[in-house]
Amino acid sequence: MVQSLKLTMNKILLGVIDDFAEEQAKGFDLNHSGSDTFFIVRSKNKLFAYKDSCPHYGDTTLPWKRHHYLNNVAEYIVCAAHGALFQIENGKCIQGPCLGQKLTKVPIEISEQNEIWIDQTIIKEFNL
Amino acid sequence: MNIIGPDKLIWGVEDLAAAKQFAVDYGLTPQNEHYYSALDGTGIEIRAKDDKSLPAGLTTGSMLRKTVYGVKDQATLDAIKAEFTDREVKVLADGSLELVDDMGFVLGFQITIRTTNTEKAERVNAPGDVNREINQPGVTKTDVPRVQSLSHVVYFVPDSVIAEAFFANRLGFVTTDRFTGVGPFMRPAATQDHHTIFFIQAPAFMQGCEHFTFHMAGPTDVVQAGTNMVNKGYQSFWGPGRHLFGSNWFWYFKSPFGCNMEYDADMDQHDESWQGREAMIGPDNSQAFLLQYREKWAPGPGGPKP
Repeated sequence: MVQSLKLTMNKILLGVIDDFAEEQAKGFDLNHSGSDTFFIVRSKNKLFAYKDSCPHYGDTTLPWKRHHYLNNVAEYIVCAAHGALFQIENGKCIQGPCLGQKLTKVPIEISEQNEIWIDQTIIKEFNL
Repeated sequence: MNIIGPDKLIWGVEDLAAAKQFAVDYGLTPQNEHYYSALDGTGIEIRAKDDKSLPAGLTTGSMLRKTVYGVKDQATLDAIKAEFTDREVKVLADGSLELVDDMGFVLGFQITIRTTNTEKAERVNAPGDVNREINQPGVTKTDVPRVQSLSHVVYFVPDSVIAEAFFANRLGFVTTDRFTGVGPFMRPAATQDHHTIFFIQAPAFMQGCEHFTFHMAGPTDVVQAGTNMVNKGYQSFWGPGRHLFGSNWFWYFKSPFGCNMEYDADMDQHDESWQGREAMIGPDNSQAFLLQYREKWAPGPGGPKP
């Protein structure tokens, strides 16, 4: 019981699965920096989380507008700076300047209540 | 060759509605279903990527399908047609020419559509050098920055030496400055703008448009227009700041065109007496300074906010 409480205190609730429509993405700015630092994509009823950082330069964000991480048919994640396309399932770039490189996957947890959590240590480790 | 600069960029985009909305929010004016222009008539043509009227795209997925250059007169068009006996030069229904350059980009040439810009450059006052009319505020809250003219295009190319040679030897462009091992800034003969092209050497799978840019009246309009974009939810890529080569102020935004779209202002002007410079590319040589947007804020007496 104590351990469960501690874990909850060390985690941040990002929302629930139903916050995401199928084939939709959402960015998060937990530190209120003015720019999202990671994003979650719901695709084929699974959630995928990545750092909002294109491997092309390593320190520039992906979308042209907030939450616009997917291409028009929600088939790929897109970096709007130079049109790089990434596979949603593994973050691998299949077209564009960072061909073959990968987005950095961010570990998130889904509770039995369909809540989406991120651990504080992950936030620190990934500088989110 | 009396080539002036880019008149029109033709795009085949994936998200047509988003691209058109972006163009309007950027400050271009819709002239018809496809064409969005700056004040002088130059602009961008936006079509769906599977539009049958578009030239074939590059295999890299670049959404830029054609760069159309404005030339001074029919004699220049005739000279271009005569120059390229080594490849097919199509004469389109509107009288413009179309050919493929040595990198595989589709180029068009037309008698320029750009009109003379009647807007004044931003006027700056300094002690002993007053340039703005008396009693004329330099900036107000109601000012609307106006996009003036298509400025330049930057391309990722697999061989910047071949790309430069093509534009220099076949089309009469001059190299104004160069980033060592990266590529040249080039201007065509009939403009004094520091560059209408910059080539960036990159792997073949990157070939395409790195960014494209429109001129604004001055740095205030660059920053105001960029601020408007941020306030509409668009995301900055780089800027605002001021480049060293060309001296142009800049602010780049990611876009639904698969490349960045920039505002620039106050670009250096050159003639044949200019001695080109060369430098290694990097943060120190790419800009004089770089700023970053933050929400409006003001100092005051302190204490609780009113």
